[in-house]
This record gives sequence, C-alpha cells and structure tokens, in this order.
Amino acid sequence: MDAKTKLLGLLIPLLLLACSAQQPAPIKDKEIDSRVRVPASEESAGVQVYSLQNPAVKELTAQAEVAERAGELDQASGYLERALRIEPKDPQLLQHMAEIKLQKEDYQQALNFAVKSYEIGPRVGEICSRNWRTISVARENLNDTSGAKDAEKRASRCMNTRPKKL
Amino acid sequence: MLLVGVGIGLGVPWVIWLDIQVRDEFEGRVWDVPSRVYARPLSLYSGKPLSKNSLLLELKASGYRKVPQASSPGTYAVSGNSFDINRRAFMFEDGSEPANRFRLQLSGNMIKTLSAVSGSENTGLVRLDPAEIASIYPLHDEDRTLVSLKDVPELLVTGLQAVEDRQFKHHHGVAFRSIARAFVANIKARKAVQGGSTLTQQLVKNYFLSSERTLARKVNEAIMAVLLELHYDKVQILEAYVNEVFLGQQGKHAIHGFGRASEFYFDRPLQDLEPQEIALLIGMVRGASLYNPRRNPQRARQRRDQVLDIFGITDLLTEDEVKKARSRPLGVTATPRSGGSRYPAFVDLVRRQLRRDYQASDLSSEGLKIFTTLAPSEQEYAQRAVSSGLEDLKQRGLPADLQGALVLADVASGEVRALVGDRVAGRTGFNRALDARRQVGSVIKPLVYLLALEHVDDYTLVTRVNDEPISLRQADGNLWSPENYDHKSHGEIPLMDALVHSYNQATVQVGLNVGVANLIRKVGQLGVSAEIPAVPASLLGAVELTPIEVTQIYQSLAAGGYSVPLRSVTAVLTPQGELLSRYPLRFMPLENREAVALLNFALTRVVEEGTAKALHGLLGNDTLIAGKTGTTNEKRDSWFVGYTRDRVAVSWVGLDDNRPASVTGSNAAMRVWAGLFRNLPFEAVDLRMPDGANFVWVDLQQQALTHPSCEDAVQIPFVEGSEPRHSTNCLQDQDSKNRKSLWRKLFGRKD
Repeated sequence: MDAKTKLLGLLIPLLLLACSAQQPAPIKDKEIDSRVRVPASEESAGVQVYSLQNPAVKELTAQAEVAERAGELDQASGYLERALRIEPKDPQLLQHMAEIKLQKEDYQQALNFAVKSYEIGPRVGEICSRNWRTISVARENLNDTSGAKDAEKRASRCMNTRPKKL
Repeated sequence: MLLVGVGIGLGVPWVIWLDIQVRDEFEGRVWDVPSRVYARPLSLYSGKPLSKNSLLLELKASGYRKVPQASSPGTYAVSGNSFDINRRAFMFEDGSEPANRFRLQLSGNMIKTLSAVSGSENTGLVRLDPAEIASIYPLHDEDRTLVSLKDVPELLVTGLQAVEDRQFKHHHGVAFRSIARAFVANIKARKAVQGGSTLTQQLVKNYFLSSERTLARKVNEAIMAVLLELHYDKVQILEAYVNEVFLGQQGKHAIHGFGRASEFYFDRPLQDLEPQEIALLIGMVRGASLYNPRRNPQRARQRRDQVLDIFGITDLLTEDEVKKARSRPLGVTATPRSGGSRYPAFVDLVRRQLRRDYQASDLSSEGLKIFTTLAPSEQEYAQRAVSSGLEDLKQRGLPADLQGALVLADVASGEVRALVGDRVAGRTGFNRALDARRQVGSVIKPLVYLLALEHVDDYTLVTRVNDEPISLRQADGNLWSPENYDHKSHGEIPLMDALVHSYNQATVQVGLNVGVANLIRKVGQLGVSAEIPAVPASLLGAVELTPIEVTQIYQSLAAGGYSVPLRSVTAVLTPQGELLSRYPLRFMPLENREAVALLNFALTRVVEEGTAKALHGLLGNDTLIAGKTGTTNEKRDSWFVGYTRDRVAVSWVGLDDNRPASVTGSNAAMRVWAGLFRNLPFEAVDLRMPDGANFVWVDLQQQALTHPSCEDAVQIPFVEGSEPRHSTNCLQDQDSKNRKSLWRKLFGRKD
C-alpha cells in the first residue's frame, strides 16, 4: 500500500463522518407526524374506534409518550413492552410500538408491529389509517415502492369500509 | 558458559510467561463477584388476574416477611384478602424506584383495588421487586458459593493444613522436605502413595486443571507456586484455595470450593458443619470422585475417619471428640442441591441464552444484574405439576421412574415463564426440557395439515381425505404400513377430522401430497434447526425434538403466525445500573397466517371432541383451549401441547433410557399439563380470523354451504375464495323463503 492510498483510507472515513455529522436532524422525526399521525387524525374526524384500556396500560402509555417526546425512544419502547405484557393484543399499543420503531429506523419491525396491529385491530378508522401509513413508510424504506403505494391506498380506504363481520 | 546463557535466555522469559499466566488466573477468578439473576418483577394493577396463593408465593420468592404491620420495606401484612405491602426500593431494568407502601385487595382471583397507603391517590401500577433466583458466572459451567476466610470454621482452616500441608505457614510455595518425604514413601511403597504438593501448588494445579502428571508439568506448577507466594500473602492464597479446590462434579458442572461443596453434599452453609462433615470434605481434596460420599460411601467414610484421626494426632480435636465424630454417619443428603438456585433448569436456559446472545467480554464483567422472564409462582406450579403428576401416574400403575419436562411461555412475547427439567425440584444434571431429544409422534401432525391448508386451492378444513391402509417401500427395501391407533381405517373423512382424531393413515396421504421436504422446511421456518430425516415416517413424528423446541414451534402457531424467538433474558445491567444490552421484543410474521388461523381452530376441536377431550374434565372448566397429544411407538413418549390466548405450554413424559413406558399423550403428559393450568389464570383461545379468512356455515357431509338453522350446520373458517361452491338444499330453501319474505315486506301482499 503506498502513502497515497493510506492517506485516502484515512480520509474517506473522516469525510463520511463529517458528512453524517452535517446532515440535518433525521427527517424521520417529522415523518411520523407528517406522514402517519396528522393525516390519519385529520381523515378520521367522526370515525373513531377506541379500545378500553386498563389503568396500568394507560399509565405506561403516558410514560411512553413522555419518553418519546423527550427523544428517549429506547425508554419509550421499554414502557410499551411492559404494557404489551399486560395487554398483548392491544392494537393501540402495537401501533404505538410500530411508530417508535419507525423513528428508530427499524423498518422491518415497524412493518411487523403495524401489520399485527391492523390484523387484530378494528381495521377501520384512525388506527387503521395509521397502520397502513406506517406500513407504507416502512415499505418505502425497505425499497418496496409498489408495496408502499398499495399501503397508501389502503390507508385511504380505512375511512370508508366497514369492519368485516366477525 | 554457553549453556548458562541459553538457560537464562530461555528461562527468564519462560518464568515471566508463567508469572503472567498464574497472576491472570489468581486475579481474574478469586475476586470475581458473581452475577445476580432476577425473576421477572410481578406487575400489580387493578383487574389483574391473581390468586391469593400465587401472590403469597411471589412474596415468598421475593423474600418478603409477613408481619403484623408492614412498616418497613420488605414486609407485608395480610388479613383475609387485603394485603398491605411495603415494597423495597429497587433498581429495575428501566430505572430505580423508591420504596413504596400500598394496599391491595383481592376478590375472586383478581386484584380488585390497588391504592397507596399514604394519601388517597390511586396507583395504577406497582411492580414488586423481583425474586433473586441465582448467582452465576455466566461464562463458566460451575456454581460457586464464595466464602471469605473469616467465615470459614477454624477447624477447616487448621484441619486442611494438618492433612494437606503442615508447612503451609512457613514455606515459599514449595516444601522440599515434604517432597523428599513423599519421594521416600513412594519408593518404599513402590507406587505413588504420597503427594508432596503444598496447598499453593494444589491451587495452581486447580487453576490449570489437568490430570497430566509429567515432570515438566510438576516443575511448572512449582515455579508458579513460588511466584504466587511472591505476589500474595498466605491469607489471600488460603482464601483462594478454599474457594477454588475441586470437590465434585454434577453433570457438566464442576463443584468448586468448600462453600459450594457444603451446599452440594449437606445442603447447609459451611459455617454450620460439624467436625465429621468438615473431615469428609477435607478428605475429598485428595480425590473428589474416589471419595464421593454418594457413590462410594464406604471408601468416603474410611477416608473421613482417617482425617479425623489426623485431627486427633495434631490436637485439633480431643480424643473424645474424635471418637464421637467417628461414630456419626456421613450425613450427606440423598439428592444434591443445585448451585444456589431453586430453579436450576431455568437458570441453565438463562446461561445458554446469555452465551448465545452476548459478547464474552460483556459477560466476564463482575456483578452483572441479569433480568429474566421467570414467574416464580408459575414455576412453582409447574414443578409441582410434574413432581406430583408423575407420582400420581405411579399410583395409576405407570412406571415409578417416569421422568418429565414442562415448558411454559407467554404466547405473544415468547417469554419463558417456567421450565422444569426433572421430576425432583431443584435437582441439577440432565435438563430434559432443553436436552431430552425425543420422538414427538403426533405432535408434528399439525404442521402437515398447516402445509396442506396453505394450498388454498387443494385443501380446506372440510376437504375429503382418505384414511385408508397405505404401504410404502422404504429405502432399506422393507414395506412401511402405518396403522391407526385404533387399528381401523376410517375411509373418506373431512381433513379436520383426520387431525382432530389424529389418524395416521390420512396424515400420511396428506403428507405425501405436501411433501416431507416441505415439512422439514416448515420446522426450520418456525425457528427450530433440528435434523429431520427425509422419510415418510417423519410425517407421523419419527422426528426427535426437545420440549423447548416443540414450544418454539407452537409459540408461532399460538400467536397466529407471529413468530418470536423464545427468550429467558430481558436485560443485562452493570452493577452501576447501566444497560449492557436489552433483548427488545421482535417478531416475524409468517406467511399464510390465514392457514395458521384455520389450524388453530382445528386444534381447539382436538380438545372439544378429539384425542384431548378429557382435558376439560381434568381442568374442571370449559374455557376454549387448543391442543395436540402425541404418543410414540410402543408408548415410549407422551407429549401434550396446549395453548390459550395468552399461554403456551409443552409437557413431555417418558423414561430416560427410552424403554416402553405405557404412556400416551392423554394418559400422562396431558395430566401434567392440566396439573399446571389448574393453578393458572388463562384466557380462551382467540378465534378471530385475520384478514382474508372468515367463518362460514357449512354442512361437513355434503361439503356445501348451509344455513345456521339447517340440520348439521357447523361454523368453519375458510380462507376467502376457498369456501364450498355448492349449497345444501336446505340453504336454497331458506334463501327462497327469505326472498319471499323480502317480497312481502316490500309489497305487503300475502301469497
């Protein structure tokens, strides 16, 4: 290896480091609001399906929200995990977890949690819309462009389809 | 001159190297603080299902004392169903919480209210500080109970020197006089009867355990002993020796140190031992296996008495004391106690998962806090279910030496709540839950049907399959002709019935269609890597799996196709409370989850009307449960897998040497399973169908859609698009009636 290559070997990682340091705050922070929560909430005016939560789950969810706002995503997911131990089939908790995973850029798990939330959830209304919007963003980041578009379409259908007969 | 030069040239680095080696061992091991292993903290909130008995077990496991007034942390008061609990301050995996006193009211096996004692504020959620279930060295297959020299009985300290090394206080690591004496004695006896090793040399030998007895080795040991004495004082060396010396073997776990040996042989702390018991342990230093008091009691007793005599000669004991001690029995317990853990089988799993998932460099840190998923009350119930369940089977005429294993996990999170590997509580050694690789029999069949149901165009739950005699040419040229359990063939039957009644011939027919190779692949997809022979007999469970592997397979099914690796560890913290790493909840959705949902429905029918229909009677309730029995050739193995909405458990019963044991899935393992679930709160299986599958009213005989009011109408789930195309006449009649009634409604005319 000559001196030049050595120098390059040193410089390239440094440059990369500099680039990454200069990048603006990850857009994902905003994405969760602009692409998932806000549109889902706007569309859903009138169509609301809330599951009843037990007080322990409520307390843990509140703690998770505080942690999330403070940017403590690991802590937030810790609270949600505890809540999921109490209510493993709570679609709200699963979707909340999906949104935390999305912010952590763990797209595969974001997708998995959102899919599960949709499947056991009401499959209609705001949470349904958040499910599919999360799936869409996750798929996009997993390079599944057409899947992302499909998911986007499904999200808009959350407001006009009735939940399936059980 | 040259020789001296070469000698120094080679010798000095050699000694330096030995010095580094021996100091590394000494510093690295003696002062290690073990890692503490905790159970899961019990979450308390109003509405939580919890029996009084379970709460008492949890409090006991967490070391809470019952008092009249719970005024100090770590105590509780109870009156009827009201508890006043003073929770200790504790550093949980996600942060510290101060002490907290609260009241808890139980009602009908549920927490009715939870409230803070001071003030009227309602507390939504309280965690009990978790039970400490073991202290371990994650990287070593050994358990130790460390003792400091000041806690060691005087007689052990002096007696050890009297027997093994009388010059200990004076020598510098090697005692040439002893070596000379041993040399003479050995020559006289023409064999090695005496060792001249000092305690320091023995310590070195223990560090680099090897039975090799070469001269070079002896010389190395002697040099290292001298080096140790240069660096450390006698107290440090003796303390290290007392904690290091090898005193037995249990399975692959070595028993090191007198503290641990005292628990292992006497189930008592070292401080409580009597002279003859101390003598026995000191005697074993010379040969832990040769003088093993459980295996060679006579030889052990001779050796013990010999040691007692030395105590007498050296005035450590009076003549009377020696006489009295000699008259006493050995006093060892029949079964060894495990290394400081009440739940050795579970701790074994923890150790293995730590080593699999964590860096060795992380695990070698001192004093880690390891947070696990164990639920002490559920573990207690599980062990009792196995211990008393097998005792009960003996009363019913089954072999007295039956063994069992039981694994209980949370469906959604895959967290292992209880693990039993032996019928005797606390016994270590062979951990059947993890290591008993046994044929699974019909427990494999659901996977065959799952594969079938994934082929939506070919199979639904009502598709007719053939339960007819079948003969296949095997690789060795012989014919294989599986029979059904009742030695009958049942002809053309709905696929679901073949599974519900566990018919072998129909399963082979279906299995050959879906392919053995696909079955093997499916087991892999469900998270189990096991060698499965690519032969048709595998379709009927001539497949060897361990109970924990079977649990892993069924977790995926029970969770509706959301597969999670079973886990026993949730987090590891440094002693300062820094998170070393967490195992976050992650899952993997399987494809074709509609097929899984259909299968789950069929497995509830196994319990409702099939091979497991005795289960409701055993449990004394009729909550919807999914399950599958398994029996192997000549009734060698009994399996039962059952799951509810929230829990999945696998039970195995059989004989260790694989003799025929007269056990079937329902006569043995299912009883043990029921023995556990009788004590647990659990929820009915959730049969809500995922997107793409629906319940439909059908007539099984006619394989046709029907109306709920028609005769033989049953509700069966189908993957969308695979519902029967035909309708029963009854449905057609109903439809025309409905049309007519609509006509009437619209036009109000009578026909």
